Amino acid sequence: MSVMYLLLAISIVVAIVFFVAFIFSVKNGQYDDSYTPSVRMLFDDELVEKAPKTSNSTKKTIQLNKSQKL
Amino acid sequence: MNTSKCYHCGDDCGSAPILFDEKDFCCNGCKTVYDIFSSNNLSFYYDLEASAGATPKIVDGKYDFLETETIVEKLVEFNDGKLQIVNLYIPHIHCSSCIWILENLNKLTNFVVTSQVDFPKKTVRITYRNQDISLKQLVNLLVKIGYEPYISLDDYGKNKKHIDRSLIYKLGVSGFAFGNVMFLSFPEYFETTEFWLDQYKTVFRWIMFAFSLPVVFYASSGYFITAYKGLRANILTIDVPIALGILVLFLRSSFEIIFDWGSGFFDSLTGLVFFLLLGKFFQQKTYSFLSFERDYKSYFPIAVTRITKDRKEESAQVYTIKKGDRLLIRNEELIPVDGILILGNARIDYSFVTGESEPVRKESGDKIFAGGKQLSSAIEMEALKSVSQSYLTQLWSNAVFNKNKASSFQTITDSIGKRFTISILSIAFIAAIFWFFIEPGKVLNVFTAVLIIACPCAIALASPFTLGNMLRIFGRAKFYLKDTIVIEQLAQIDTAIFDKTGTITITKNSDVSYEGMQLSHAEESLLKNTLRSSNHPLSRTLYDLLTEHDIVTLDEYEEYLGKGIQGTKERNTMKIGSATYVGNSAAHNSENTTVHISSNDEYKGCFIFQNEYRKGVPIVFKSLSKTMDVAILSGDNSGEKIRLKALLPKKTSLYFNQKPEDKLTFIEALQKQDKTVLMVGDGLNDAGALAQSDVGIAISENVTVFSPACDGILDATNFNQLHHYIHASKKAMKIIKLSFGLSLMYNVVGLYFAVTGQLQPVIAAILMPLSSISIVLFTTVSTNLIGKNIIYNKTK
Amino acid sequence: MEVQQFYYDNKVVKRFLYATMFWGVIGMVVGLLLALMFLFPNLTDGIPWLSFGRLRPLHTNAVIFAFVGNAIYAGIYYSTQRLLKARMFSDWLSNFNFWGWQAIIVAAVITLPLGYTSSKEYAELEWPIDIAITLVWVAFGWNLIGTILKRRQRHMYVAIWFYLATFVTVAVLHIFNSLALPVGALKSYSVYAGVQDALVQWWYGHNAVAFFLTTPFLGLMYYFVPKAANRPVYSYRLSIVHFWSLIFLYIWAGPHHLLYTSLPEWAQNLGVAFSIMLLAPSWGGMINGLLTLRGAWDKVRVDPTLKFMVVAITGYGMATFEGPLLSLKNVNAIAHFSDWIIAHVHVGALAWNGFLTFGMIYWMIPKLFKTKLYSLKLANFHFWIGTLGIILYALPMYVAGFTQALMWKEFNPDGTLAYGNFLETVNQIMMMYGWRAVGGSLFIIGMLVLVYNVIMTIRNGVDVEDELAEAPALIKVSKRRTSGETFHVWLERKPVQLTILATIVILIGGIIQIVPTILVKSNIPTITSVKPYTPLELEGRDLYIREGCVGCHSQMVRPFRSEVERYGEYSKAGEFVYDHPFLWGSKRTGPDLHRIGGKYSDSWHLNHMYDPQSTSSGSIMPAYQWIVRDELDRSDTQAKMEVMVTLGVPYTEEEVANAMQHMDEQAIKIEQNLYSDPDFAKGYDDDKKYAKENGEAFIEMRNREIVALIAYLQRLGTDIKVKE
Repeated sequence: MSVMYLLLAISIVVAIVFFVAFIFSVKNGQYDDSYTPSVRMLFDDELVEKAPKTSNSTKKTIQLNKSQKL
Repeated sequence: MNTSKCYHCGDDCGSAPILFDEKDFCCNGCKTVYDIFSSNNLSFYYDLEASAGATPKIVDGKYDFLETETIVEKLVEFNDGKLQIVNLYIPHIHCSSCIWILENLNKLTNFVVTSQVDFPKKTVRITYRNQDISLKQLVNLLVKIGYEPYISLDDYGKNKKHIDRSLIYKLGVSGFAFGNVMFLSFPEYFETTEFWLDQYKTVFRWIMFAFSLPVVFYASSGYFITAYKGLRANILTIDVPIALGILVLFLRSSFEIIFDWGSGFFDSLTGLVFFLLLGKFFQQKTYSFLSFERDYKSYFPIAVTRITKDRKEESAQVYTIKKGDRLLIRNEELIPVDGILILGNARIDYSFVTGESEPVRKESGDKIFAGGKQLSSAIEMEALKSVSQSYLTQLWSNAVFNKNKASSFQTITDSIGKRFTISILSIAFIAAIFWFFIEPGKVLNVFTAVLIIACPCAIALASPFTLGNMLRIFGRAKFYLKDTIVIEQLAQIDTAIFDKTGTITITKNSDVSYEGMQLSHAEESLLKNTLRSSNHPLSRTLYDLLTEHDIVTLDEYEEYLGKGIQGTKERNTMKIGSATYVGNSAAHNSENTTVHISSNDEYKGCFIFQNEYRKGVPIVFKSLSKTMDVAILSGDNSGEKIRLKALLPKKTSLYFNQKPEDKLTFIEALQKQDKTVLMVGDGLNDAGALAQSDVGIAISENVTVFSPACDGILDATNFNQLHHYIHASKKAMKIIKLSFGLSLMYNVVGLYFAVTGQLQPVIAAILMPLSSISIVLFTTVSTNLIGKNIIYNKTK
Repeated sequence: MEVQQFYYDNKVVKRFLYATMFWGVIGMVVGLLLALMFLFPNLTDGIPWLSFGRLRPLHTNAVIFAFVGNAIYAGIYYSTQRLLKARMFSDWLSNFNFWGWQAIIVAAVITLPLGYTSSKEYAELEWPIDIAITLVWVAFGWNLIGTILKRRQRHMYVAIWFYLATFVTVAVLHIFNSLALPVGALKSYSVYAGVQDALVQWWYGHNAVAFFLTTPFLGLMYYFVPKAANRPVYSYRLSIVHFWSLIFLYIWAGPHHLLYTSLPEWAQNLGVAFSIMLLAPSWGGMINGLLTLRGAWDKVRVDPTLKFMVVAITGYGMATFEGPLLSLKNVNAIAHFSDWIIAHVHVGALAWNGFLTFGMIYWMIPKLFKTKLYSLKLANFHFWIGTLGIILYALPMYVAGFTQALMWKEFNPDGTLAYGNFLETVNQIMMMYGWRAVGGSLFIIGMLVLVYNVIMTIRNGVDVEDELAEAPALIKVSKRRTSGETFHVWLERKPVQLTILATIVILIGGIIQIVPTILVKSNIPTITSVKPYTPLELEGRDLYIREGCVGCHSQMVRPFRSEVERYGEYSKAGEFVYDHPFLWGSKRTGPDLHRIGGKYSDSWHLNHMYDPQSTSSGSIMPAYQWIVRDELDRSDTQAKMEVMVTLGVPYTEEEVANAMQHMDEQAIKIEQNLYSDPDFAKGYDDDKKYAKENGEAFIEMRNREIVALIAYLQRLGTDIKVKE
């Protein structure tokens, strides 16, 4: 079962890679604000050529999560 | 009456809405904002969230101080000459529209490069090119669109604070190690003698060992440190047995694998640390949009307008104000230092700093104190002291503001930590000695086993999860606490002190009653129209009170400073003002504020202004007085004494004309008689008391704007719930005690195995998570039940 | 630092969407054909490249890598650009990714029916295609990471992380599982043997499910569900926890697919423990997805997109609940090898992957073409018929699974098997197979409705190839006042660089690991009586692989009384040391074959291959007449043996040298055995005479494929002599 070494090695290395990635993303403040991004991703940033009114006029109320409201 | 809502801010448009772009607006302000947005293709703002805007309050020159380089330098986060980054706190941020518009600032002015909102913190981080747009212009732009930032002395020079993320790292490390170690340790629990397992278990064990290293030496370092500190101070905190447990776990496991005795307890070890840190993490719920550390600084402006010798106006950083400086204080501006009024008529609102409910009038030559807010036209004053020497700010030189309550308070967990540690150690030794005679080989095994199995993981988790959850429940009920310790302290309160103005009274409007003879329709109309022309706060209040009358233009209007006003229409004159002014010296002079009126010099009567009390005041006092002493400590005059007496339970003691220091000392005195004091206040004048008290709670009508340093902030709308919250905290403590019992049971079971020298890794691996998880479940469920009650009480 | 205008690449997204729908139809139709073959075994009578064994891998590959694969690309290419506010890193890579992937699929569509297969589930494609896959996949990852580097949005939304994880892990898994030594252009042998091969295969097998069918779709869920519902995800914090907890541990998956096999006990336990652990993060994700729609149920009622997503997420919840359940040993003892597993995977595939894909398509197409969906009615129809399809598919398969598994295990009071004849257990569930076909057809009808609906939508839409968008550039400025800038940039890019570097490191490290695996004799308890296959048997084994027999027949007798009673001594790890690749199989549509050797006469095998129903009436095995007719291709035999030698199979030089001669001897022996059957002798001689008279070329029986196959079958499981 020497293949076990192989699988262990890979599994652990991959796991560690992700762990390092995690540390760095936290360090970079990726998760300092763990709410706004979820709202931001809802905004379309496509520039609709001419007459933005018509395209936007459809009411698209975004309701925020209760927990975040005051 | 017409009740169309403002398309921008959603307020009532009143009788005469402004029609623009076939939409109603309550005021020109809102209209302009709408105009700005729609002309910049940003009307999507209104599609996202209906009428999310705020009416812009533009005060000319308010932000002139942002022209001063030194001040700007202190405010911005980053500045390389071309680019500046500023992080502004904007209380109005409340919905998706806000996020959207603020992150699209660059569509309003292309000098803004990027802007990013942090919704929980209610801040926006703006990157802009400062050759093209100055910070002042930027802020004014925000003001113009109704997103006025809140800039105070507090922001001055504290722009590079670094966030401490170590707990997250530690949690990550331990979680990661825990997960992987568990898988590696699992196989041995099932199969002990199997061909392949024998081939590989050494590999597994050493990998587990590797995983455990960062957990022991990094993740759990905190426990060793605190334990060490505790021992240095001769207190056995709960961290001592924990640290001991971790250490023993690690050492024994390492030895086991080195000498190939067994697989060790690495899964229990990593799991233990992981759960403990999880508790820590859960415990620290922070309300990023609130601050419990505020002092006068976050209330004071950064800069004021100074008048130079050659009568030029310049904005000066408040710290630079020296004795003898001439200052210009505009309407709605704050008086930064004590001084003498030179010219202009001052109407200064001290309610926030002293608790006096009504604005006071000052003539030139009078002494005026820092912290007051000028209400009418601009005045000129001369500084007598510097900011820190001023009457109000001196309060903060008091020691109480530097001492940290939490450190002095012994939490329930620590209090049992001592007994626990001693008993565990003694058990360990006794067992060891016992085995020494029976079977010396087992001594070490048993000794370590006891320390391992008795490691008070569950106990250490009980209070973080109970209180942490309680904290969240309170938060949902708009009762925001600084940390979990406050709950423990709340549970021990036996004396409750309340401030009056702004705390149990509503700051804005007050009850007005009319005493005197009935006014004719004509008189009423004249009265209303006369009031219309005056912008004296009392006039405004009255004006709003009186019923609608068609607007007429007066033939004459006079305002006599410090006396009153006079309006004339078709030979009818109406005098409004002080008793003497309207020619009624006989009028009873009550301590309440009164406005007297006379029609054609014939005395009609007077309006009496009284405080309006928050709803539920009697109930709160009633239920509190059952379990503790209650008192009122007001900076105001005793004008309300009679009403209060009627309102509150008999044994409530009332004190008036209390200066800030008085309040502080008063509480100190109570504590000398070993009373645990709860102080409920709102203003800066309570700051000392709030700091001195065991638990200081600030009442706030808008939690996002200023409230003094305190342990908890209670949204005014839920004032009538206060007593429920205190009871809830008591219940929470009961839960903790119960869960202590529960976890002790687990310990007993574990100890049985340990003492009899038959502790297998698998047993530890089962007991440890089992106890921890059941504790977490128990506490969470029961606290949620309490939470239910709170909500229930609120509804009924 | 200016506000920049740029274009989103919609073209590639659309292409992938079209590919998704096209291959979706193909893959599902093949599936339906296979389902029908259960009812009419000889539906594609005599056409080798339409035989069940060869089409099954085509179905799985087409659905997983063509349908779902393209859907993943479409979703990722759409959402990544918008989440990072940047066009994809390189159009060239995008195109290469698209055309390359389609080419690979086409290659699969050609090679699999022609019998070129490695026989490893979900990794059947032969080595040249495997290399192509690696290239295209790396191109995709390069494109993704490149886009991340030039993004205009500092925060990386959780979906992006899921995509990254998908790329890294799938790359690693694919490479290590596909390691094989080529014999010819389209033939290779796995470097691992027997148990080891099985372990690697299912380590891959599970992670293929985990990282190809789950993580990317979770990413897509976190993007498209909030978008479609237009409300933020229930708890973004939870989604972050979800990702990291999943990713820290997911890689351990796998061994639980081999419970009760000859896999090391503890490896199995590891698998069990793992799968149970995984329930938490999985359900965390599901709850997060569903709760996102709380308070929007009114929307769900009217919006088919959301309906599809709701069912998809629910399906995910069911599948991820069932998974750990199945990994419990006593449950697995029943479910494994039965149709229960088929039901399980199809709940996952049809509901989770299928429906989420449909939801995505219905949401994206109108957006991409700046119009409304052609017909909501049709979409709703699709939803309902699709759901009904899933139910009609899953339920019968569950019933079938239970019924058959229980029948396998049922004993008479006297200790004999209640259903000694395997066929009884098959005929018992024929009706269920019927219903399954119905359910499948309904699902396909729905799929066709979708295609029509999409076409009509595109008709009255405007085609915007590149969509204009604008966002300010992401300027890198340090929190620190000055000059820390470069350092920050460095930090900013660090995780990405790390990901790349680490991947390379793993590969190198892995290769180094491999060497001993191949060269060092593995420490499996060897059984002296176990000998390598003879050349003829080896060829027979390759035929077994070519025809995909492993799709219906396992070669793994588990240590249960019922199985030992039915098939013979349970399988030992030591018996597989020369099996490159392993052929344990994962499904028993027919009986296990590990102990088939010596059970039947050679001529029985011949007749059975020629016309299964003649020897065992009611059998649903298709006829393999071409094996009986065609000549065995011996050209590669020696090459094959040499490869085996490199892989550690102890063939001596002269064994390799005399391979041909040895083959003849063994073949002639079998031919003689066949002659002992008078009917055969007669028929065979007639054929020979007829051929001679008409001067046709005649292939001696000894040279035909069937002989090799018989040789192999008769050898199976006979190495260890146990039982009476």
